This record gives sequence, C-alpha cells and structure tokens, in this order.
Amino acid sequence: MLQDCLRYRSLIRNLVLKDLKLKYRGSVLGVVWSLLRPLLLILVYTVAFKYVVRIRMENYAFFLLTGLLPWNFFSGAAMASTEAVRDNANLIRKIYFPRAILPMATVIFNFAQFLLALAVFLPLFFLWGAPAVSATLLCFPLVLMLHFLFTVGTALILSAVTSSFRDVSHLTEVGLVLLFWVTPIIYPVSMVPEAYQGLMKANPLAAFSITYQDILFFGRFPDLWVQLALVGWTLSVFWAGYRLFKWYEPFLAELV
Amino acid sequence: MKAEASVVLEGVSKAFVIRKNRADSLKVKLVGLFQSRHREHQELFWALRGVFLRVNRGEFLGLIGPNGSGKSTLLRLIAGIFPCTQGRMEIRGRVVPMIELGIGFHPDLTGRENIYLNTSLYGLSKQETDGLFQRIVEFSEIGEFIDQPAKNYSLGMYMRLGFSAAVHLDPDILLIDEVLAVGDEHFQKKCLKRMEEIHSLGKTVIFVSHDLEIVRKMCSRVCFLLEGRILSEGPPERVIADYHEFLEKENSRNGP
Repeated sequence: MLQDCLRYRSLIRNLVLKDLKLKYRGSVLGVVWSLLRPLLLILVYTVAFKYVVRIRMENYAFFLLTGLLPWNFFSGAAMASTEAVRDNANLIRKIYFPRAILPMATVIFNFAQFLLALAVFLPLFFLWGAPAVSATLLCFPLVLMLHFLFTVGTALILSAVTSSFRDVSHLTEVGLVLLFWVTPIIYPVSMVPEAYQGLMKANPLAAFSITYQDILFFGRFPDLWVQLALVGWTLSVFWAGYRLFKWYEPFLAELV
Repeated sequence: MKAEASVVLEGVSKAFVIRKNRADSLKVKLVGLFQSRHREHQELFWALRGVFLRVNRGEFLGLIGPNGSGKSTLLRLIAGIFPCTQGRMEIRGRVVPMIELGIGFHPDLTGRENIYLNTSLYGLSKQETDGLFQRIVEFSEIGEFIDQPAKNYSLGMYMRLGFSAAVHLDPDILLIDEVLAVGDEHFQKKCLKRMEEIHSLGKTVIFVSHDLEIVRKMCSRVCFLLEGRILSEGPPERVIADYHEFLEKENSRNGP
C-alpha cells in the first residue's frame, strides 16, 4: 500500500495543490485568511482566560499558540478525512488508484497550512521576546514527524470507517470538541489536579500538546512517560490505520 | 504460434451487495441489534456469472448487450476498480480505463492544471506528463483556452480535453465505455481514428458500445452479454446478428 502511494506521488502532489489553489485562488487576502482564524482564537482565548478567568501565566498568548496550532492541524485533518473518501466517490468508482492517497492528501494539505502558520507565528513570538529559545527546539522536527504520522493513522481509520458508517463524521465532530477540553491546550497540565494528570497523559493528543508546550514554551524535555506515550501512540495508531485501510481498500468503490 | 494474452478471465463472477434497510450508520446498526425489523437485510445481485474470456494482445474486442447485462461491470473489473467475487483474473500490461472522460477535472482549475491532475490519476509522473502535454493540447484543439478555468469551457471542449489526455497515456490495454456518445461528428471521427491508431500499434482495446455500426466497423471480435453471461462471441457480423435476433424477440414479446 505504501509503495503504491509512493508510485503515485504526483497524484498526492496534485491533489494537495488543487486544494491549496481552490482555497486561496481568487481571494484578495489569500493565505492571510488561514492565519486569521488561529489569530482570532488566540485573541479570544487570551481575553477569556487571562483577563476573565485570570490564569496566572507569563506570555499566555504564546503558550496558547504552542498548543493551539498543533491541535488545529490534527482536528482539521481528522474532520476532513471523514469526507476524504466519500467526497471522491466519483473518482473511486471510475478509475483505480491507491485509495489511501485520498486521506493522505487531506492530511498533507492540513499539514502544509500548519507549517505555514508555524513559519509565520513562531518567529514573530520569538522576536516579541517569548521565553525559551533553547536546545529542545532541536527535537521539534522529530515531534512534527511523529505528529504527522499519528494524524495519517487517524485519517486512515476515519476515512475507511466513514465509508461504511456515515455518522462517524458526526461522532468525530463531537469527539473532537470533547478531546479539545481534556487536552491541555488552553491550560497547562500542571493546573490539573495531580490525581488526574496520569490519566490525562494517556490521551495521545495530550501527550503531543504537552510535548509542543515543553519544547517550544518551557524549553525543557517532556518527561519519560510522555515521550513513551508519544512514540507508542504514533506507532500503534499508524499501524492500526494501515491495517484497517488495507482491509477496506478493495471494497471502497462499492461502499461509497 | 499462440498469441499472447492481455486479459484472461476464468469463471469470473461478481456479486454486489444490495442492502435493504441499509445500515450505513452506526446508529442504525445499534438499533438493529435490538429490533429485528430494523435489521439490515442483504441480498446479492450477480452482475457477472462465471465469465470465461481471453483477450489477446492486439485484439479489438467489442462488448454489446442491453442495459444491465454486465458490460460495465466487466470493464470495471478489468480496470481494477473492484475485485471479483469468484474466479480468477489475469491482466498483463498497463490498463487505461476511459469509463468517463475528464476524470478528476475541476471547473475552477485551468485546462493545464486539469490535465496534470487527470494524468496523475492514471499514475503518470509530472515529467511524463510534461513530455505528452504538447500533443494532448494539440489533439484537443483547445488552443489558448488551455490556461482558462475549465468552467469557461463548452461541454465539447471539456470532453475533447478529457479524451485527448486519456488516449495519449500509452496504454497496453485501453478500456472504453460508451464515451464517444459526446462531441461533434468531426471529433468523433478523430477519436475513432486515434483508437485505430492505438490498435494498430499492437495494443489491446476493449470497447463497450450501443452503436452497433461502430462496433461492426472497428472490432475484430465481439461478445454479446446478457444477464451477466456471455451469450455469444465471435466475428462482429455473426454476434451482431445474434443480438438483433434477441432484440426482435424482446420487441415482439413486449409488443402488442
């Protein structure tokens, strides 16, 4: 399956380019739009949690950013992947190509926007005098890679399952809202009662969020458990997605 | 000397699952666990029943038969769009299915972008398409419209571009499903000529059509399908005569 996808890499490229072009062509502000959303969210959350709820934290906006951008990538890709196969039913019924390319292209499209947002916001915040430009930044690419693979695994699972159960996309939507609040994004994990911290770290998205916050914001390495959770979740979700999609793949043209 | 086979089908059957009360959401599935009248009923529809077919390299095979006789299913099996339920299939060489013209075309992309997207669906790399691009554009007679969004195209232009892209892909096995019904006479002639050219290069062509005149003129062998079985096969004259006989019988039975 993976080799097939590699052989069709020009298709992946063209599908991602298509989505990017369709999104940005003809709008005056172009890519600015995709940066406006996280900016607005950060503004709203900062006002709500720093000035209303009064979380005591220096550089709260930057802290938010380190958790929110990765979350946006994951949730955007997960949501879009539920439509990835169904929306392309027309293609699937008329020509053979490795079907896994569809969820894969969806993830890459969202990843591209994530990287763009990082490229714009991170330097800005470092210039602003945010803390912790430290050696931990060196493992940033590795974390990005794990995060990407984890999301591909999730997208493979969701896109395959939605092809036989339509309401999975609604479940995903609700699930994501739930996940957002049990993941330390707008609050640091240290604010959670200690008894629940362990439980929270079992959530793969919490592990990712904590890691991003640790290496980008606090300038430290995440603890061993989080590191293990990160690698463990990534490998198992990717493997599960691969197996499940492979099992579904031959029948997708009949299911959708 | 025995001719080399392009396509070999041995006892191939294809069943589609017809779902009554289809459980296409988790909700319905769950309800079905408790209430039997909501449970999904599955019925099988056999679109093909035990088809034996051997197409040699360089043959121009026509498939004829009334609607729902299994012609398109047969073509899709050969194209690898879905697997067969029973039997064994062997396909040798690169298959280019033309089940629909302009697969993947998007109205907001330009003709140029659509060609690249379309050919990559067939597994071509960017470099390979670069090499073909000029010929595709010339054949399609689309001129400077190539850099216009496809939504500004007339239906004819759209189809011409789609056909042109597909026939320049250098197939070993070309599958054509009733796509010539569109376009003006001039372009139809050109398409037929191009199909003959491909055939004269020693390629295999499998052609589904209701236009018996074209089938008679083009094909070296014809199969007449009915209810998923090959009813008769052989030289065009004879098989088309069989088909006419069948149609007359049908008419007199349905007639007054």
